[in-house]
Amino acid sequence: MDNREILVDIKNLRTFFYTEDGVVPAVDGIDLTIHRGEVVGLVGESGCGKSVTALSIMRLIANPPGKIVGGEIFFHGEDLLKKSDDQMRLIRGDKISMIFQEPMTSLNPVYTIGDQISEAITLHQKIDSAEAKKRTIDMLHLVGIPEPERRFSQYPHEMSGGMRQRVMIAMALSCNPELLISDEATTALDVTIQAQILDLMRGLQKKLGMAVLIITHNLAVVAEMAETINIAYAGKIVESATAKEIFKSPRHDQRAIASHRGHGPVPLSHAQRLPF
Amino acid sequence: MRNFLVRRLLLIVPMIVAISLIIFILLTLQGDPFHQLLMNPHVRPEDVQILMHNWNWDKPLPIRYFNWLKEFVVSTFAPRAGNGWGFSLLAPGTNARALILQKLPLTLALSGGSILLSIIIAVPIGIFSALHQYGFGDNVGTFFAFFGMSMPSFWFGIMLIIIFGLKLHWFPISGMHSDMLPAGGQLVDFYAAPWLARLVNRAWYMALPVSVLSLLGVGGWMRYTRSSMLEVVRQDYVRTARAKGAPESVVIRKHALRNALIPIITLVGLTLPGIVGGAMITEQVFALDGMGRLTLQAVLGNDMFVAMAILMIDSLLVLFGSLLADILYAVADPRVRYS
Repeated sequence: MDNREILVDIKNLRTFFYTEDGVVPAVDGIDLTIHRGEVVGLVGESGCGKSVTALSIMRLIANPPGKIVGGEIFFHGEDLLKKSDDQMRLIRGDKISMIFQEPMTSLNPVYTIGDQISEAITLHQKIDSAEAKKRTIDMLHLVGIPEPERRFSQYPHEMSGGMRQRVMIAMALSCNPELLISDEATTALDVTIQAQILDLMRGLQKKLGMAVLIITHNLAVVAEMAETINIAYAGKIVESATAKEIFKSPRHDQRAIASHRGHGPVPLSHAQRLPF
Repeated sequence: MRNFLVRRLLLIVPMIVAISLIIFILLTLQGDPFHQLLMNPHVRPEDVQILMHNWNWDKPLPIRYFNWLKEFVVSTFAPRAGNGWGFSLLAPGTNARALILQKLPLTLALSGGSILLSIIIAVPIGIFSALHQYGFGDNVGTFFAFFGMSMPSFWFGIMLIIIFGLKLHWFPISGMHSDMLPAGGQLVDFYAAPWLARLVNRAWYMALPVSVLSLLGVGGWMRYTRSSMLEVVRQDYVRTARAKGAPESVVIRKHALRNALIPIITLVGLTLPGIVGGAMITEQVFALDGMGRLTLQAVLGNDMFVAMAILMIDSLLVLFGSLLADILYAVADPRVRYS
């Protein structure tokens, strides 16, 4: 067992979506533990509730239609679900930050990338704009963007997808978060760029020591990076073990299927309707 | 950007030539003012002959057209007392340019004021509606938007005149300003009053017509803002802004609104011809002497040179308005670069 301090402890999280076609229990009782500095994988097929879990931790579920209907998310022993919007805002981007799947659309097209990263810094730290600019350039350097001074004043459309995802990582790490959530961060990139971004994230995790929650449907991604792997299926965690155990003795057939090529099970027997 | 501008400006030249030809042919088809003058018993036929000769109307059509276009260009770029886009039949002794310049200030105040007012009212309502989609406020806003868009301006104008003019006596029902204004304890002539008193008086007279035109405009601008904002608040970068911990007000104002306003800003360029063109119906209802009324009178009264000059200006403004829209688009959106 892990004897590091527990950073995040999710207990029986339930997030439902209230659509015109009925209630969709996207997350239906997920339990998940992340220790300080640990890399945790959350794997599962599309629609199993991985991303909704991440957005629930950030409290970014769009309401309506979504709502966290039950459970607890302890962060340093305090329940995030009981925090006010303002308290949560101070945690977001500072203690917990997140990288999204779509690097092409996740950056605001009308502001320079420098502005956008500096904003994340000045929102949480009392520093002047010159200092923020210096920090931003350091961050761009850290994520391996060449000529960071010049890139600082470029707009997102002047960069490739891989570069933009590096910018997103720089933004997410700019306040030294204790937890980084990577929601399919490499899925939209082509394979060589995927490998570069994963290498970068692994290197930064070793260097900065933050905990990382990697959400993906690609077992190969977590196999390399994660210490613990959780497998989600139809809104629940069906298996949780160290990476070694999981690949040595698969218990749930979904993983056996997922690790081969083929069709995943259709969870219609559990949730009546999946409108997305 | 400079190449783009030069190319667009050069393209305007052949376009305006084609437009001027169409305007000239259409308006001369309905008869020329000289023959109308011949029927006037107070005008001697010899004078009409001289006038026709001066305006080359005794020559074939292509020469008439060419001379009119030359006159238009020359008196636009080199205005002198002697020229001015052609003479006016309905206001003898004056020319089209003098007439238009005389009507323009009122129309600029009326149309410019109402467009400004409708944008100021509509944009916040549109944003609110988008952020509370299908809520009570959104439904009320949408109801009034459609109410304004479907309201005939002449009927709404008459209703305002009846309610606020005749029944309540809050606002004057027609005209542009009072004849006399109180100044220093006594009544003085309008033009002798201090500028502030004149401005307040004019605003008081403009209140009802500007309200009519604004109500017509608010609906459109509000719906544009609402749909633009609805599209933007669902974008991934708005979620990114929330994820970095920005307060909701910053998320909306800085990240969403800036993007949502891009299409609105470009639409502003396209309102340019409307600001100068005037509001024919509303000016008529409120007996205002502006461009809309002048256009109507010139076209109905066969005041050919005045009508042609107004149509030329409107066409030029449409062309320059769409150019302005393109420029504003590039200014507002860094992704847009012309080359």
